[in-house]
Amino acid sequence: MRLRAIELTNVRRFAGRRASLTGIGDGITVLSEPNEFGKSTFFDAIHALFFEKHRSAKGPVKALQPHAGGAPEVAVVVDLAEGRFRIAKRWLQRPQAQITDGAGRMIAQADEAEAWIDRLMGGDLAGPSGLLWVRQGVLGMEPDGSSTDDKRERERGLTARRDLLSSIAGEIDMMTGGRRMDGVVDRVAEALARLATATGRPKAGGDWARAVDEVTALAGEEASLRPRADRLSGDLARRAEVQRSLARLTDPQEAARRAEGLHQAEAAHQAAQAHQDHITQAEAARRLAVLDADQTMREVERLQDLAARVEQARVALAQAKAQASSARSRSDDLGLRDRTAASVAEAAAATTRDLRQRLAGATRSRAAQAARTQAAALQRRLERATALQGTLDANQGQRARISVSAKLLEAAEKAQAALDLARARAEAQAVTIAALPETGAVASIAGQPLPDGPQPIYAATDITLPGFGVLRVDPGQARGAEGAAEVRKAEQALERALASCGTDSLTAARSAWAEAQRLDASIAQALALMAEVAAEGIDALRSALAKATAEAADAPDTTDDADALTAALGQAERAEDEARAAARAAHDLAVTAGEARAATQADQRTAERRLADALDEAGDPAALAGQIADLRSRLPALAAAKALADTALAALRANAPDLATTTARLARAKGAVDQAAKDAGRAREDLASLNATIAALADEGIEERLSSLTESRAEAEARAARYEAEVRSLIRLRRALDDARTKARDAYFGPVLHELQPLLSILHPGAHLAIDDTSLLPAILTRNGQAEALDILSGGTREQVAILTRLAFARLFARAGRPVPVILDDALVHSDDDRIEAMFTALHRTARDQQILVLTCRQRAFAALGGERATVQVDVV
Amino acid sequence: MAFRFLHSSDLHLGRAFGGYPEGIRNRLREARHGAIGRLAAAARSGGAGVVLLAGDTFDAETPAPETLRHALRAMGDEADLTWILLPGNHDSLAASELWRRIAADGPANLRGVTDATPLDIAPGVWLLPAPCTQRRPGRDLTEAMSAPTPPGACRIGLGHGAITDFSGEEGAAGIIPPDRAVRSGLAYLALGDWHGQMQVTPATWYSGTPEPDGFKHDIAAGALLVALDGPVPTVTPVATAQFRWRSPQLDLLAGDDVAQRLTAALPKTQARDHLIRLTATGRLPLADRAALEAALDRIAPDYGWFQADLSALSVVALPADLDQIDHAGALRQAAEVLLAEAGDPALSQPERDTAAAALSRLYALAQQVQA
Repeated sequence: MRLRAIELTNVRRFAGRRASLTGIGDGITVLSEPNEFGKSTFFDAIHALFFEKHRSAKGPVKALQPHAGGAPEVAVVVDLAEGRFRIAKRWLQRPQAQITDGAGRMIAQADEAEAWIDRLMGGDLAGPSGLLWVRQGVLGMEPDGSSTDDKRERERGLTARRDLLSSIAGEIDMMTGGRRMDGVVDRVAEALARLATATGRPKAGGDWARAVDEVTALAGEEASLRPRADRLSGDLARRAEVQRSLARLTDPQEAARRAEGLHQAEAAHQAAQAHQDHITQAEAARRLAVLDADQTMREVERLQDLAARVEQARVALAQAKAQASSARSRSDDLGLRDRTAASVAEAAAATTRDLRQRLAGATRSRAAQAARTQAAALQRRLERATALQGTLDANQGQRARISVSAKLLEAAEKAQAALDLARARAEAQAVTIAALPETGAVASIAGQPLPDGPQPIYAATDITLPGFGVLRVDPGQARGAEGAAEVRKAEQALERALASCGTDSLTAARSAWAEAQRLDASIAQALALMAEVAAEGIDALRSALAKATAEAADAPDTTDDADALTAALGQAERAEDEARAAARAAHDLAVTAGEARAATQADQRTAERRLADALDEAGDPAALAGQIADLRSRLPALAAAKALADTALAALRANAPDLATTTARLARAKGAVDQAAKDAGRAREDLASLNATIAALADEGIEERLSSLTESRAEAEARAARYEAEVRSLIRLRRALDDARTKARDAYFGPVLHELQPLLSILHPGAHLAIDDTSLLPAILTRNGQAEALDILSGGTREQVAILTRLAFARLFARAGRPVPVILDDALVHSDDDRIEAMFTALHRTARDQQILVLTCRQRAFAALGGERATVQVDVV
Repeated sequence: MAFRFLHSSDLHLGRAFGGYPEGIRNRLREARHGAIGRLAAAARSGGAGVVLLAGDTFDAETPAPETLRHALRAMGDEADLTWILLPGNHDSLAASELWRRIAADGPANLRGVTDATPLDIAPGVWLLPAPCTQRRPGRDLTEAMSAPTPPGACRIGLGHGAITDFSGEEGAAGIIPPDRAVRSGLAYLALGDWHGQMQVTPATWYSGTPEPDGFKHDIAAGALLVALDGPVPTVTPVATAQFRWRSPQLDLLAGDDVAQRLTAALPKTQARDHLIRLTATGRLPLADRAALEAALDRIAPDYGWFQADLSALSVVALPADLDQIDHAGALRQAAEVLLAEAGDPALSQPERDTAAAALSRLYALAQQVQA
C-alpha cells in the first residue's frame, strides 16, 4: 500500500476547512512545516481512519473534533496492487465510511467498508500490515471501555509508549500473538490456577482438590462403615443359623428320642455290671484255692531246707576247727624266724658304725700333714714379698719428686733454641762497642768490666772509662731495640719451661729426666717380681699362712690306713643292708601268719554259732521229719480244688458283656441329653445377644448409609476424573501456546535482525543489536566489541535504534510483497548533526522499495534529507 | 364378581442416590416415598382393594429406621387398602430384622409374606407367594406356587426374580419358568425384579417400578391394575411416576443445526422432573461444538439433573474455525498443532482427546478475548 493523498475536513484546527496533503511520492516524502501547522493532526487523522470505526465515539475520534463541533472527516488516497482507492470516514454526525475506486465508483460503504479496511490492515506476516508509526501513536490495541480497569490499562499502555522502544514491543507482540495471546494465556493460567498447583497437583481449595478430598473422605467413611455393615450381615446370618439350631434342640420328638436312648443305655450298663460282679467272686475263690496249695507246698519246702541246713552247719564247723589249728602252728614258727633275723641285722649295724669312726680319724691325720708342708712354703713367699715391697716403696718415693717429663724437656729445649736465635738476631742488629784498652785500663759498665770483643748495646749505656769518665752510648730507637725485646721474650719463655721441669737450667733438667727413667725401670722390675711371689697380695699371703698353721696343729694320733678302712667300711655296709632286708621279710611273714591265725579262729566261732542256730530252729529231728511227711500227703486235694475254681471262672468270662462299651454308651446318651440342654441354653443366650446387636445396628440404617456413601464416592471419583482431564487439556493448551509463541518469536526475530543489520551499520559500522527474549525490545548494542545495554545509552542513540528497527520491520513487509508506509512524526529530535545525516542515509536506503512520510517542524535540519516535498492546501468548505 | 387388585414392585424405598447432588437426591428419595400414595390412589381409582408388592419394597435389608417407619405409616394411612409385601432379593427373608420389625410395627392392613404358605386374601381368592429366602436363592422358588388350594379357588402367584436373566446383554434364561402360571394353575402371576413394565404371557406380568430410579428403562413407569374377570386377566397399566429419566443421544455432523437438534432431543415440558443424561457423538466444527457447549450450559439448570457426555464428539476444525482463533501467528499455530494432534493416529486415544479438548478450549477462549 502506498499513500498518495490525505484530506482532512473539519478536523481540529481545520474547523470548517479542508486541508489536503498531496505530492506523496514512492520514496521519501517530507512535510516540513512550522509548529502549530497541524502535522500531528494529519498523523492522528490517518490513524483514526484506519483503526477507528466510523460509528465510534471514542476518545481518539472526539479528539479530532474541532472546538466548534461538527463531524470530522478524513480521507486518504492509496495505491494498492488492485489499483487506486479512496478511503473516507466521517464520525460523530451522520457517520459514514466509504471506499471508492480510482474511477470514483463506490466499492463498499458502512460496515462493508470497515471490513474492507480490516482486510487491508490484516496482513500475511502474522500481524497487521498497516502503517508503521513512529510517534507516541496508539495502535488500537489498548482495551476499550470506560471501566476503571480499562482506563488503568489504557493509561499504562500509553505511558509505556512514550518511549519509542515500547511501541516496537507492541508491534512485535502483535506478530507473536499480542495481547490476544496474552489474554488466552492468562485465562488458561487462571483456569489452571483455580484447579491445580504449579506442579499439576490438585490445588487446595479448588474444585479438583475438593473432589479428591471428597473421594478420600467418603472412602474413609465407607471403609469405617463397611465392617459394621458386614457385621450386621454376618449377625443376621448367624441369627438365622442359631434360630434353626434352637428349633432342632427344642424339638419334642428329638428330646424323646434322646431320653429313650439314655434309658436303654442305663439298662445295658446295669446288666453288664452284675455279670462283672459274678466274675469278681469267682476270681476270689480261685485265688483262695491257689493260695492254700501254694502255702502248703512252701511249708514242705521250708522244713526240708531246715533239715539240710543243720547238716551243712555240722560239716562247716569241723572244717573251721582244722584250719584254725594249722594257722596257729605256722604263726608260731614264723615268729621265731622274725626275731632271729632282727638280731643279725643289729650286729651288722654295729660293725659298720665302728669302721666309720676309725676312717674319720685317719682322714683328719692325713690333712694335718699336708697343712704343715703348705705353711712352710707360704712363710718363704711372705718373707720375699716383704723385702720387694720395701725396695719398691723407696724407688717410687724418689720418682715422685722428679717433675720433668719428656714433653716438658722437649719444650725447654725448644725455648733455649728460640732464645739462641733471638740473641743472634739482636746482636746482628745492635750497636756494638769494643774496648781496646790500653794497658791496665779497664772499661766497665755498671761496675762490671767490659768483656773483650764487640759487645752489643741495646739501650743507652754508660761506660766508665778510667781516666776519661763515663762514656754514654745510646743506640736510639732505630737499631737494636726490637731485637732486645725478642731476646727478653725468649728468655722469659725459657724461664717458664725450666720452672715446669723443676730446674733452673737446661742441663739440670736433662739430668733429672735421666734419673727419672732409671727409677721407672727399677719400679717396673720390682712390680714384676711381686706379681710372681705374691700375686694374691701380702695380706692374703699372711691369712693363708695362719690357716695352714692352724690346720697343721689339729692332727689326731692314729696309725690306721684310711684307704684300707674305706674298703672295709664298704663291705660292712653291704652286709648290713642284706641283714636288714632279711629281717624285714621275716617280719612280714610273721605278721601275715598272725592275721591268718586270727581269721581261722573267727571262722570257727561263726560255724559254731550257725550250728547252734540251726539246731534251735529245727528242734527235734524226728518230729521235723514227721511234720514234713504230713504236709506232703495234703498236696493232691489242694490241686483238685484249684482246677475246679479255674473252670468256673473261665465259664463266666466267656459270657461276659463289654462293660466299657456299655459305660461309654451310657456316657454318650447322658452327654447328648446334657449337651442338648446346654446348647439350647447357649443358643438362647446367643439369640438374645444377636437380637440386641442387630437391633442396635439396624437402627443406624447402616446398609442404606453405606449405599449412599458408595454412590457418592463414585460420583466424586467421576468428578475428580473430569477435573483431572480438564487440567490435562489446560496444561496441553498452555504448552501449545508457549511453544507457538516461542516458535513465532524465533521465526520473526531472525528476519528482522537480518534487515536491521545493514541499516545499523550505516550509523555504527560493525555494530550488532540483540533483542531481549522477554521484553521483545532491542536490548544490547555491541559496538567495537563492547556490549552496552540500550537503556543506558543516550536518548539520541535509543531513538535512532528504535527508528532503524521500525525501518527493518517495514523492509520485512516490503520483501513479502506488502509494502506499508512508514510515518515519522517529529522523529529524530535527539539526534546530532552527524547522526542525523547517517539516519537520512538509512531512510534513503529503506526508501528504495518503501514509502516514508516524514512530518517535521525542523525545516533546516531536514533540508538535507532530500526526497519529495509535500504541500498542504487549505480550503474553506 | 371380578377380583381387582393393583400389581406393583420394586419401590426400593430408602435408595440413597448418593451419586447425585443433594437437591435432586432428596427429591428422588421423596418421590419414592410418594409412590406409596400414588399407588394407593391408583388402586382406589381402579376399584382395587388389595395392592400386591412383588418384592424389593425396600432397597436394603436394613433400611434406615425412619425409612421403614415412614413407609409403614404411609401404608397404614391408606386404611381402606390391604398391602401385601413379598420379600424380594433386596429385602429377602435373610433380612430377618426387617421382616421382624414389619411384623412388629406394621399396620393392620399390611401383611408381610414370610413363607410360601398360600394366603386367603379374598373370598375364593388365594395368593400363592414365593418369598425370596436369600438375595440369590439359586433355585426356583415359584415351585411353591403349585401348593393345593380349595377347589375352585382363584389362584394368584406372587414372585420375584428373573424369567429372563437381564443382567447379561443377551437376556439368558432365568430361573422362573415362563410357563409358571400354567404349570401351577395360576389365574395371574405377579412378578417383580425387572424395573421396566413387561408382559411375559397374558397372565404373567412384570409391573416394573412405580418410580424409576435409573436411565435403564426409558419409559413412563407405573403399576398394573389387574381384573380377574375372565379366562384371561384384564391388565391395565397405570402411570404413577413423578420423575422421568431420559438418555437422549445426539449424533451430530457438520452442517447440523445443533440448537434445533438439541431442542428436539430434550423434553419440552416439566424439565424440573426430568433427569437427563445426554450423549453426543459424531463430529462437529469447533464453532458448532462451542455453540453446543454454550447451549448445554444454558439449558442444564432447567432440569432436575443434567449431564452431557461429549467425549465421543469429535472436533472438526474448518479453516474458518481456525480463522476465528486467529488468521495467523502464534495462536493460529497453536491451534493447528492441537488439531493435528487430535487426529494423529500415532497417539493414544486419551492423548488425542486431551488435544481435542485443548483445541476446543482455545477456540472458546479466543472468542472471549476477542469479544
